Amino acid sequence: MLRAGRLLFIKDLRVLGRSRGLLAILIGYPIVIAVLLAIALSGGDAKPSVAFVNLDAQSGRTVQVGDERLSVDDYANRLGEVVNLVRVDAQQATEALGDGKVSAVLTIPVDFVSDLQTGIRSPVITLQTNPRSPIEAQAIERRLEAMVFRLNQALAGAYVGQVLNLVDLIKNGGNVALFGQTGTLAGLKSSQQAIRDIQRALRAAGKPEEAAKAASLLDFITGVGENLDLAKPAAKAIASPIRLDVKAGAPGREPLSALGIAGALVVGLGLVSVLLSAALLSAEREDGVLSRLGRGLVSPGSIIAQKAVVSAAAALVVGMVLLGIVAVTTSVTVGRWGIWVIALLVAGLAFGAFGLLIGALARETRTALLAGLMISLPLAVVALIPGSDVAYWASAVAGFGPAARVFQQVLVDPEVTTSLWSGIGLLALIAIAYGVIARFVLARRMHT
Amino acid sequence: MRGDALLTARGIARRYGSFEALAPVDLAISRGERIALIGPNGAGKTTLLSILAGVGVASAGSIEWAGGTALAVGWVPQRPALYPRLTARENLRLFAGLEGTADPRAVADGLIERADLGKVADRPASALSTGTLQRLNLAIALAGQPVLLLLDEPTGTLSPDQRHRLWNWITEMVADGDMALVFSTQSIDEASRSADRIVTLVGGQLRMDGTLDDLIRAAGTDPSGPAAGETAFMALVGDDQ
Repeated sequence: MLRAGRLLFIKDLRVLGRSRGLLAILIGYPIVIAVLLAIALSGGDAKPSVAFVNLDAQSGRTVQVGDERLSVDDYANRLGEVVNLVRVDAQQATEALGDGKVSAVLTIPVDFVSDLQTGIRSPVITLQTNPRSPIEAQAIERRLEAMVFRLNQALAGAYVGQVLNLVDLIKNGGNVALFGQTGTLAGLKSSQQAIRDIQRALRAAGKPEEAAKAASLLDFITGVGENLDLAKPAAKAIASPIRLDVKAGAPGREPLSALGIAGALVVGLGLVSVLLSAALLSAEREDGVLSRLGRGLVSPGSIIAQKAVVSAAAALVVGMVLLGIVAVTTSVTVGRWGIWVIALLVAGLAFGAFGLLIGALARETRTALLAGLMISLPLAVVALIPGSDVAYWASAVAGFGPAARVFQQVLVDPEVTTSLWSGIGLLALIAIAYGVIARFVLARRMHT
Repeated sequence: MRGDALLTARGIARRYGSFEALAPVDLAISRGERIALIGPNGAGKTTLLSILAGVGVASAGSIEWAGGTALAVGWVPQRPALYPRLTARENLRLFAGLEGTADPRAVADGLIERADLGKVADRPASALSTGTLQRLNLAIALAGQPVLLLLDEPTGTLSPDQRHRLWNWITEMVADGDMALVFSTQSIDEASRSADRIVTLVGGQLRMDGTLDDLIRAAGTDPSGPAAGETAFMALVGDDQ
């Protein structure tokens, strides 16, 4: 029976390859629908959305650090190169994070500009991420850390330059315009010269003892000068004018991007697998071949298993194409391909088994396709309603609900959890249940 | 033409709810025998053939094969049962493979030659003419090298010319060896020309099992009159025709 299954598998691939129109409808149409759905649900942004909260009242002020000029707006513009910043107040940001409309909240502290200006302490920017999407949160964290690091480098260079200027000023004297302070500084060299002049004057005035007392002051100035030379390399070690503090936010909904992609996968894979398996099985009947096969050449179980494998293979191919599109065009991190292969194959088996039942019941391919579409599409859409157990179990009838949850988990959860395996197990059970029912219906069709 | 016994069907019947599609029928088939199942529409011909082929399920009765083991059966349904998007050659190779033959390619090539399908072997089955398609349908049934070939109204959709050529070919196919042939038809001419035994079914009941002469005798019609067979058949079938 394995040989028979293999022969029918090859036959199905050959027939599909020659049925360009059917292939276009079965695979092209669901992919187009899925891509449109993903764009609609995820907003079509290639960059993750991050709420931007500015608590600094002096945000319009420009900070001049050496050659670097920086304001909060400049800073936001630079961050906007790596994330899609949504300017909101703190309350709106919390709500948006909870609703999954943004993936993180970036907060500029109250004294950001003045802290930068004075350089006394490092201003701390807070990044609050969505714990329901840790994978995306990590991606945002990495992007912002990289951006903050680049800004730090530029600012640190400016600060070090300023510190070295200050060292020169202390040694040589001159006009000061540093960290927001201005004035004139005497400098160690001119101070040394002034003390020597005073000593000479005291000696000339017959006060050699008084002049000798100033000698210790000259030694101190010499020592300070030497130590300042040592301070130069230490100043270069200034590294982080701004720090990024990452905090996990309160649990909210999964981000829309993950929901959109999981939805696209459910609709795409669901339609492909259900329609393909329904069409393949009903075509066997329409071509009149079931009566030949039913003579013991192939068992009904083998036919069902073979068609389910074709369906799962198609789901894997379509799923990988969709995930490839996601990886290339969106900010969502698609990794862990091994888990994806398992999830896509098992979901394809569940959807395929459901389609096989439709195909076994339908008398004609057209009827099977129409019935498959009419039943699958609403169930797939119902599966996308977030947070509703009723919707989940209603769509679980054909495996759509569990598949949507499994796909979202693989997208947002960095760990392979028991819950994920439970979801995959439920899909496998659905596949077996529909496969068994379809096998009995087919057996009746084959032996009338 | 009769050889050793091939199979014996006893009390084969089929009911669909309260409708009796086939009343209990006894039928013995011998090797090399050619049997025509004749009767009007709804007589139970297809039901009996499909049960013999193992496609249909009998509500009652049994089939006993000589030697106790079921042998290879070739089944030719009324409508061509093949994959229209595959070529003739691919269809033959596929079914030869499904029949479990050791070398499906060689079997397919042999059947293409025997069925004179060489010129159209690599065309999709959907592009073949009705007569050629029926020849392919028959060739597929021979892929498993059957000892019993069952044909359900094989010429029902063909023109007289195509019928003639198809029967010539079938006769050629079954001439070799001791393959038994059972076919259904509504034509007494076809039955009398191609079979050495005629089984008449009417309304699911077996009315007569014998030769054309037996049929004429059973009908009580004039054996010397024009179209004696046709007249006898009409008389036997009566209002069911």
